[in-house]
Amino acid sequence: MDDQKSNHHNNKSIDLDDSPPFVRIHSHAEIGSSEERAVLELEDERLNSCDSITRKKHPFKETSSSDICHMKCKNSLWNSIKIVIFSSKLNILMVFGPAAIIVHKTTGYHGMVFLLSLLGIIPLAERLGYATEQLASFTGPTVGGLLNATFGNATELIISIFALRNGMIRVVQQSLLGSILSNMLLVLGCAFFSGGLVIMKREQVFNKAAAGVNSGLLLMSVMGLLFPAVLHSTRTELHFGKSELALSRFSSCVMLFAYAAFLYFQLRSSKKLYDMESKTETSDDDEAPEISMWEAIVWLSILTTWIAVLSEYLVDAIEGASTALKIPVAFISVVLLPIVGNAAEHAGAIMFAMKDKLDISLGVAIGSSTQIAMFGIPFCVIIAWIMGQPMDLNFQLFETATLFLTVIVVAFMLQEGTSNYFKGLMLILCYLIVAASFFVHVDLDSVDYLSYNPSACGNKNHIHDLKMNITESVGKTKT
Amino acid sequence: MDYKLQVRVQSHLEQMGSLDDRSMGDLDDECLYSAEMDAQKTQSTDSNEQVSLSSSLPVAGNKMIRNGVYKSIKTVVFSNKLNLLMPFGPLAILVHKMTAHNGWVFFLSLLGITPLAERLGYATEQLAFYTGPTVGGLLNATFGNATELIISIYALKSGMIRVVQLSLLGSILSNMLLVLGCAFFCGGLVYPGKEQAFSKATAVVNSGLLLMAVMGLLFPAVLYYTHTERHAGKSELALSRFSSCIMLLAYAAYLVFQLKSQKDLYVPIGEEGSQNEQNANDDDDEAPEISKWESIIWLAIMTAWISILSDYLVDAMQGASEAWGVPISFISVILLPIIGNAAEHASAIMFAMKNKLDISLGVAIGSSTQISMFGIPFCVVIGWMMGQEMDLNFQLFETATLFITVIVVAFFLQEGTSNYFKGLMLILCYLIVAASFFVHEDTSSSGESKQPKT
Repeated sequence: MDDQKSNHHNNKSIDLDDSPPFVRIHSHAEIGSSEERAVLELEDERLNSCDSITRKKHPFKETSSSDICHMKCKNSLWNSIKIVIFSSKLNILMVFGPAAIIVHKTTGYHGMVFLLSLLGIIPLAERLGYATEQLASFTGPTVGGLLNATFGNATELIISIFALRNGMIRVVQQSLLGSILSNMLLVLGCAFFSGGLVIMKREQVFNKAAAGVNSGLLLMSVMGLLFPAVLHSTRTELHFGKSELALSRFSSCVMLFAYAAFLYFQLRSSKKLYDMESKTETSDDDEAPEISMWEAIVWLSILTTWIAVLSEYLVDAIEGASTALKIPVAFISVVLLPIVGNAAEHAGAIMFAMKDKLDISLGVAIGSSTQIAMFGIPFCVIIAWIMGQPMDLNFQLFETATLFLTVIVVAFMLQEGTSNYFKGLMLILCYLIVAASFFVHVDLDSVDYLSYNPSACGNKNHIHDLKMNITESVGKTKT
Repeated sequence: MDYKLQVRVQSHLEQMGSLDDRSMGDLDDECLYSAEMDAQKTQSTDSNEQVSLSSSLPVAGNKMIRNGVYKSIKTVVFSNKLNLLMPFGPLAILVHKMTAHNGWVFFLSLLGITPLAERLGYATEQLAFYTGPTVGGLLNATFGNATELIISIYALKSGMIRVVQLSLLGSILSNMLLVLGCAFFCGGLVYPGKEQAFSKATAVVNSGLLLMAVMGLLFPAVLYYTHTERHAGKSELALSRFSSCIMLLAYAAYLVFQLKSQKDLYVPIGEEGSQNEQNANDDDDEAPEISKWESIIWLAIMTAWISILSDYLVDAMQGASEAWGVPISFISVILLPIIGNAAEHASAIMFAMKNKLDISLGVAIGSSTQISMFGIPFCVVIGWMMGQEMDLNFQLFETATLFITVIVVAFFLQEGTSNYFKGLMLILCYLIVAASFFVHEDTSSSGESKQPKT
């Protein structure tokens, strides 16, 4: 830990450009004792593999080579299962997954199915991050970074793709939006708050430059979301219905390109950083991978499949759960889904903040938001394009305005480079306000309208007519 | 333009004594103009002196005047490669008279205006040498975007209020996103090792002014959109005119502030090291190339030419939009400013690649500030005098675009450093803006008809 802290401070004194200070450094010396340490680590109580959290922050770090370890790490099947499944206490929730399927088959009670599948996905998401992390240590910095950048939010993307297949475009938009909001406000707020409470004497600092780049990207994504929404709400599009879709698809390509450039830019500056630093300091996180490469790939596919299966049940049960639990679908998509889906990251961010490694917390929270905003959302639009679903970037004015305000508030709070418990508290309270407003928000575009107008059940054209009537009457009062 | 002028003024003040000695030294510096210029510069000053002294020798004097005129034309017209585009101007008039094919007339007049705009800037700078820093600064501040203002005034006269609003808005957007983004991007590519730094203070002041302009534009738009004005139709107009006066006052105060503090603010550029650095700063010619009266005359000629071409341009816009199948808003917001600003664009990129990012920033952001705090209110006041009902209500979509753009750019600028990624992000943002205007139909302009000119 002391090495950690001094390393941290050393990094701060170096005038780095854009890259945040690295916590784990290249170390060959640790490989020999990796297996001993692996056994010791298993005993640690940790909710997550610290690696997965660090990975998300800077995906392009190098780790130690695995040649020697490869022989030692080849585990038998039992050992592999032991390492992956039984090592984390969170995995107790894993049983809820099959329980959800059983409940679905037997009773078909949507509320319970929804809750159980949600609980079942949490540990799987965490293990998926772990497996990605392990695989990344074999593939070198570039591909490893790309893996982390893509799979970082694989859970949300998988849920979104299943929702898209069902044509629940609004759920996709709202769940992605909710992910961004919860990461930026709730996770970050909790991290600042708990970190500030633990470290009372001084303000914690973090790397302003990295936060600034991420905030800039978030603003750019808000821009990409704002234009289709304003175009639609001012009813000034050239070809009604088709214009925003075309604009959204074009903007999505532009945003994906910007994200690729961002990854490239990060890779270049992290490589430059590695040339500068040639320390051999060690970290207390596990440097060597715990499972072999093929095991990692196999586990990755197993977990992804499991998550996909559970997601399907989850998505199917959303509407029924909303009726049963008497909560608007918007609230479920924006608030409940992301909180539960992000639980592991949430805990990790808090833990790192309390250890005074605020950069890592920031990487988890803001990096995740940037990933979803600049990669997840455009990616879903492109996937919908391929599937033939008309998903666009028009998140409707209310949601877009929420995102805009949130990004501005967070960008403003981050620009100073310091944090304390009060800032964290403010962010958490902002999230409460956002959640409350979504609790009373009726989404005209979604199936909420069905539940509040039983006569309109099952008739999509009727919904469209109702919407047109409302907008027309609003337009009439305006002129 | 302000930054460039102040750099020069600084060294101008310090080196006024050794102007003639240094002029030879400057000639070796790389400059935008052909090497022929070197001999001509001393010759033109000589010939001008001879002209003023040769009142007693009319015959020799006439010959000298003719030589002077020829040299002057050579200096101004033939020196810059951009001026190859000049013939497009008369060509546009010919096409208009013969075929009246609006698409071509529009395109050709646009191409014809580009070199004229650049030469106008050149003439303004030359004149500024003679008038001292104060008036020179004012000149640059006013004529910096003279082209856009002239086009706007003609459009106002035709009653095309929406075109005026959109083209001014497009100028601001293209300066803030495209020009700045290209400058950051190219500068970052040429200097990949470290980040380029620029003066944060000036950037922040400009961002503040831009935000104030957005505020001035936002209130009429929101007032209109929420249908909460007291007297429908009249309230926004009155509010717009009042806000315009305030914005012009703010701009005047900003000029006073800049001129008063220019010595303090721009010392860092002068103190870049040795005298060599200062000489290198002025690789554009320090000494004026044409005399004071010549520059005034050329200024007048250029302005007249631009006015004529603008007339044809504005007339052809509607037809061009129909001929090409492109919405008028796209033409006004995207096409007009990009081509009109081409010269400034190129110079900003050039300065960024020479690691003089402050000057690039001055060109880009300074121009945006000028248009938003001076150009737009000025047009409202001119419209007031003409009896045209131009107001600051740019409609919600355009105002929202401006708002988000100003916020994004202000955020990017506040750090004080730049790299190629930031430039790339700004350029991509501009692509998104352009795409959204491509599919944007302007409902408020469909009812506008061009009033016959008197």
